Amino acid sequence: MSILDVYLRRLRREQLRLSLLSLVAFGGAIGALPLILYLLPGLHDVQLLGVPLPIWLVVVPPFPLFFAIGWLEQRRADALDAAFGEMLGDIEQ
Amino acid sequence: MTLAIVAVVAVTGAALGIGTWGVRVARTTSDLFVASRAVSPWWNAAAISGEYLSAASFLGVAGLMVKFGASALWLPIGFTAGYLTLLLFVAAPLRRFGSYTIPDFAEARLPARGMRVLAAAIVLLISGCYLVPQLKGAGVTLRAVTGSPYWLGVAIVALIVALNVALGGMRGITYVQAFQYWVKVFAIALPAILLLIHLGGLPARAALFGNELPRAGASGMVITLDEAETLTFPDTGAVRVVGPGELRLAPGEAVPVAEGIDAQTGEEWSRPVNETGRGSPLLVYSLLLATFLGTMGLPHILVRFYTNPDGSAARRTTVRVLGLLGAFYVFPGVYGLLGRAFTPELYATGDTDSVVLRVPSAAWPGWPGDVLAAVVAAGAFAAFMSTASGLLVSIAGTVSHDVWPARRRMRRRRFRAAAALGMIAPASLALATREVDISVLVGWAFALAASTFCPLLLLGVWWPRLTPFGAAAGMLAGAVVATGAITAGLISHASEDTAVGALLAQPAALSVPLAFGTMVLLSLRGRPARDVAATMAALHVPERVPV
Repeated sequence: MSILDVYLRRLRREQLRLSLLSLVAFGGAIGALPLILYLLPGLHDVQLLGVPLPIWLVVVPPFPLFFAIGWLEQRRADALDAAFGEMLGDIEQ
Repeated sequence: MTLAIVAVVAVTGAALGIGTWGVRVARTTSDLFVASRAVSPWWNAAAISGEYLSAASFLGVAGLMVKFGASALWLPIGFTAGYLTLLLFVAAPLRRFGSYTIPDFAEARLPARGMRVLAAAIVLLISGCYLVPQLKGAGVTLRAVTGSPYWLGVAIVALIVALNVALGGMRGITYVQAFQYWVKVFAIALPAILLLIHLGGLPARAALFGNELPRAGASGMVITLDEAETLTFPDTGAVRVVGPGELRLAPGEAVPVAEGIDAQTGEEWSRPVNETGRGSPLLVYSLLLATFLGTMGLPHILVRFYTNPDGSAARRTTVRVLGLLGAFYVFPGVYGLLGRAFTPELYATGDTDSVVLRVPSAAWPGWPGDVLAAVVAAGAFAAFMSTASGLLVSIAGTVSHDVWPARRRMRRRRFRAAAALGMIAPASLALATREVDISVLVGWAFALAASTFCPLLLLGVWWPRLTPFGAAAGMLAGAVVATGAITAGLISHASEDTAVGALLAQPAALSVPLAFGTMVLLSLRGRPARDVAATMAALHVPERVPV
């Protein structure tokens, strides 16, 4: 196995770890939401601008959350790719 | 009504115009298939979002919300979350791999005879499943807006889309799709915002959130039934067959509900999670899982990632898509709320899918409502056209590339012929299956995608040990179980309140783990492909690194 294969395997692992971490972050948040609403039926009586809180919670916050996690992941993944490129450049020199 | 026709014609004409302009740019085979891979992230993101926001998003979410309650609001979350999983796991590697279609990926990653054919067959099945409801939606919408016969809407959209795809291919379509995304956002957002400002808040609050049923106003209500309906009258519990004709309700009488709809108080209706029914936690989680993983496996979505210049651009595109989808999905819920308040007659006619089209005129009588209704109708048309175009591109690409390949010089003609032919079967099906529920076909497409291509892609991209035999067996197992469960649910009419009924209607929770398990177990027993290291390098080495 060449040094390239070792580095490539490491890059793949790091990318996969980053993806799984992001998955746990957003999966945890979105996965908990139905459970929270199920366990706390009283939230329904709290109203914001005349609309019950559970409806707000389902319609608004998930979307900025998706965008934020996606944006962070994209930056980090590109950075990992760049680091891999630099490392290979060092070897060639 | 004339306004609506003008608006629909204007949007359709603009789409055709942009498509024709795209033809002049589309010269090479590569242009036709993947837009020469040089579409910028913003164009691509708008095009992907335009393609993805289908009849189900534009009309279906609000319609389901009126019919069953706020539990429908989980759908947009699942649709968008599907893109996040796509970004996390497959966007960049797939783009780097550089194949035109999923069958290409399947064959290159898992060299085995039959792999390409199996993948192509599933692509055609999913695309077909998804194309039929778009055409049906077009027929229903044109009928609701202009009173034209059902077949006319189907025929018009089928013809325009086939022409556009055959002539412009992927490049023409990219600009048309991007244009149609903005049409759709504008058409759903503007009327919703103006209506809320005009009304100064939500009316009929007791029926929306309190302990009331939707009721006729102080002067009663007249409901026109096109066909005889078996109605349940919630005040007395009486069940009667009524119509066709007019049904008069006394002032303050609760609106009767058609078969398959439960009369719910505002409090039950407005809870996203409930003890029973569509909002039960089991159904909510199963639905989230199906949409979450199914999006990744939709062939018309994946093919678009190949139009990015490189893997990093594919990531940037997906992040933008997440933003664009989020901007759209705030609004269907507004129509759901307004629909329950202003168009409760839909509970009696059962025609809840048309709620988005009907709310503007009902909530704001007079010319402003008519103008807004025309805007919404144009947006709905853009929704069918763009999704149908994307599906047809992937059907034509699969047929002309995998099923019925041609030599180099013939390719462009073959793609065009496949686009024309590929529209005939779904259009005939849409005409023949007018009675079948739209959501059944869409649900099947998602479940099928989640239990075939999703495990193929995830394991294929990240797990070197995946074998062709394991992958094929897993896809077959997933497809058979998903299809079997939905068919069994349709035949047995199992109630979704029971765990078994819920799994039959929404089988992803069962079929996805089964497909993954089959692939992993069978692959562990076999031997991976010989040059898998080179394949893995092609998937994961960044483009700018010379290896």
